[in-house]
Amino acid sequence: MTAPTISPTTITDEESVTDLDKPWKVIVWDDPINLMSYVTFVFRKIFGYSKAKADRLMMEVHTTGKSVVSTGPREKAELDVFRLHEHGLWATMEHDS
Amino acid sequence: MVSFPKEEAEALREFLAQLREMMIDDSDPALRPLKPPARPDDEASEIEYREMIDDDLLKGRLEAIEIVESGIDGTKLDEEGVAAWMQSLNCLRLVLGERLEVEGIDTETLDDSTPLVGLYHWLAWLLEQLVDAAMPALDANG
Repeated sequence: MTAPTISPTTITDEESVTDLDKPWKVIVWDDPINLMSYVTFVFRKIFGYSKAKADRLMMEVHTTGKSVVSTGPREKAELDVFRLHEHGLWATMEHDS
Repeated sequence: MVSFPKEEAEALREFLAQLREMMIDDSDPALRPLKPPARPDDEASEIEYREMIDDDLLKGRLEAIEIVESGIDGTKLDEEGVAAWMQSLNCLRLVLGERLEVEGIDTETLDDSTPLVGLYHWLAWLLEQLVDAAMPALDANG
């Protein structure tokens, strides 16, 4: 994956950890309708990525069928998915394991 | 700046009105790409997500259509306007693309003689124009 990864902090037994604290991956899937240039634009607009990075993610979606476009806590992942859905992209979120 | 010949403006107005009705009615299978699942792995979470966002999604899309309609006869677009145009044109493309796929029409064959395929390609062309026009602003913002 060419997407940035967040190193999980070491979790000790003393820390109370719920599922909400685990990092989530936001994945964009290839679809037959959205334009490549539009997908690059949306990645740049939503995530503030450089053109090079947005292009790379878009090409990964296009050639491999999907790409992890962001990672983070659940609330952030939900917001990212919502914004991607708002823009008509096929995005899902799942737990990083 | 967007402006269209009168015929194209009227056509777009009509399609947007149809899209609005479809979205409010919410029963046409062609709407499927407008509401992709967020949590296909987890039914309960998916239901929760849909309850949380579907109203907001619809509201945003209806507002975007209104902005487009108000500027369809020629307007200078600010950032909000560009976003609304992109969102609305892309919604139209998604729904139309889904319908063409369902009907087994190959959009890659460039058969513009089929009216819906012609519209589909016209919307793609319009959207490309908007993306090209809006991309430099992203560079400026870093």
